[in-house]
Amino acid sequence: MRYAFGYAILCLLLGCLSPSAMAQEKSAVRQGFALDPNSTKILLFRPKVTAGSQSTAGMFEPNADWTQQARDNLDLALAEAQQRLGNEIVGSVDVVGQQAESLAEYQSLFGIVAQSVIEFQFFPGNRLPTKKRKDAAFDWTLGPGVSALAAHSGARYGLFIFTEDQFGSTGRKIFQVFAAMGGVGITSGQHKGFAGLVDLNSGDLLWLNADLQMGGDVRTMEGARRRVAQLLEDFPGSTVALAAAAQ
Amino acid sequence: MRALLRGIPLVALALALFLVLPVSVSAAPAPAPAPADLPPYSPAYQPQGTDERGLWMWADEDERELRDSKFVINDPALQSYVASVLCRAVGQDRCRGVRIYLVRVAAFNANMSPNGTMQVWSGLLLRVRSEAELAAILGHEFAHFELRHSLAGFRKARTMTDIAAWTAVLGQYGATVQQAAIGSIYQFSREQEKQADLLSLKYAIQSPFSAQAAAHVWQRLMDEADATALGRKQRSRRYERVTFFSTHPTPLDRATYLADLSADAAAKPEGAESYSAALAKWLPEFLSDQLKLNDFGGTEYLLSSLAGEHWTAPLLFARAELYRQRGNPRDLVAAADFYRSALAADPELAEGWRGLGLCLMRDRQQAEGAAALKNYIRLRPQAADISMLQTMTGE
Repeated sequence: MRYAFGYAILCLLLGCLSPSAMAQEKSAVRQGFALDPNSTKILLFRPKVTAGSQSTAGMFEPNADWTQQARDNLDLALAEAQQRLGNEIVGSVDVVGQQAESLAEYQSLFGIVAQSVIEFQFFPGNRLPTKKRKDAAFDWTLGPGVSALAAHSGARYGLFIFTEDQFGSTGRKIFQVFAAMGGVGITSGQHKGFAGLVDLNSGDLLWLNADLQMGGDVRTMEGARRRVAQLLEDFPGSTVALAAAAQ
Repeated sequence: MRALLRGIPLVALALALFLVLPVSVSAAPAPAPAPADLPPYSPAYQPQGTDERGLWMWADEDERELRDSKFVINDPALQSYVASVLCRAVGQDRCRGVRIYLVRVAAFNANMSPNGTMQVWSGLLLRVRSEAELAAILGHEFAHFELRHSLAGFRKARTMTDIAAWTAVLGQYGATVQQAAIGSIYQFSREQEKQADLLSLKYAIQSPFSAQAAAHVWQRLMDEADATALGRKQRSRRYERVTFFSTHPTPLDRATYLADLSADAAAKPEGAESYSAALAKWLPEFLSDQLKLNDFGGTEYLLSSLAGEHWTAPLLFARAELYRQRGNPRDLVAAADFYRSALAADPELAEGWRGLGLCLMRDRQQAEGAAALKNYIRLRPQAADISMLQTMTGE
């Protein structure tokens, strides 16, 4: 109890001192970027989608059915959303040999770069020295080699999507209630996702949106629409149209 | 937290008792998984139930990534050779359910996913000495697959972490129960490893390979670990007992029970020659990976053990590189000798001339060194370091 009281005071103090410091930034757009009006073909890399439940102790239990539902729903919702923005989405068709290798490499590279942005730029307490200035540029790139991927698809941009949904199991929820009775806060369920847009000519990261507390139950079509609207928040082009559509 | 819990002692006690029970009977077998009619290796087997389907889905996603990874060794000949060893080890019907990926990592390991993805690391291929030894390890991995160990391990971990979580909230006597619950996950893993060893031995007894080979692998791995420890001035861990977090039995345990149980098996061929012939093309590459581990003692042991009575050119060259890498004046003298022996066996070994030249020049034998480097330049006119070496030879 003493600790809880101390913690509450600490939170209050921190809250008074810097209300914004506790908040994690969620998205950024490269300076001066606007979608090329002449070519809005977007290559969608195979989204990384996982859905499952969270056991009482918090272990992730993958669920094949939910994951398939989420994948199908998100694909549809994404196509709808981009169509509304006037963009054309093309899937990354199955490639073989050297192309497959380089596709896999860039997919991994994007994952690492995105993770670095989230850790070292979006999180204010942990910024790299070059990202500390108030108007620090959002300047990350996968390198110009990425243009080889564009050559086959004719796309101008590449879109990466990652979502992971852990739905709290019944056991977890009961556990949460009991823990709350003991004064311990335990979360049930975890829903994180990020999406990024890459210029397939230069390799520059144009826009990134990351959220570790996402809404929308991706197992349903409605939820997937809401999730996509959230993932594409601040997507270069029009956010208003998307938000309106999701309502 | 405790203060609040005292308000509900009866509920807490009841729950604690209820939760302690499953721990005390944890030695009994876990509830059987949903009865699946078919073994997981049968053609186009579909996983059953939420847990198994979830794990397979995960494994499928991982395999998509692994398939296109640059670490996968893209050599159809070696690939089909390793597959043929597996098929002879476990039988044609079983091995069709497995997809083998040879992965270039310089450590001794192989692993098996629940969906039939088998990874074999290059460090393992380097250390294994015969088809029989490779068969014993592939058989062990296959046994994990056949016995659905990932699934059982996943369920065990879930049950035990659940128990540990509840006891953490309940407080009283929590630590003891928690420790037992977490410990049982690792104990379960060790039991699975032993089961896989025993099933692998069963395969071996029915296969054309020697069943005694399995124990040899572990014996040599302990010797190598000792050599590494000695080189790094650490103590040997050979006789250490299993620790709380050990996922495997100790190598000494494994070597002992495998040797005991296979002692009476019929003597069958090891297939050492055919194995080294199949690996010959890759041996220099795998040795070069090993040299980068900065493990003088272990590498020296490994090279001597691979050479046995007969030092071949690639092994001599690797040993020379190892000594040149350490670079004491006496090492350079030894390295130069090894390079010369390697070159006597194979005068076209360009990198041998390069190493010899660098050793000699560093040892203040400019003329001889330059002559050796010129041989390298002649044999590898397109090499990346030619200009640098030409400045050294004064051309």
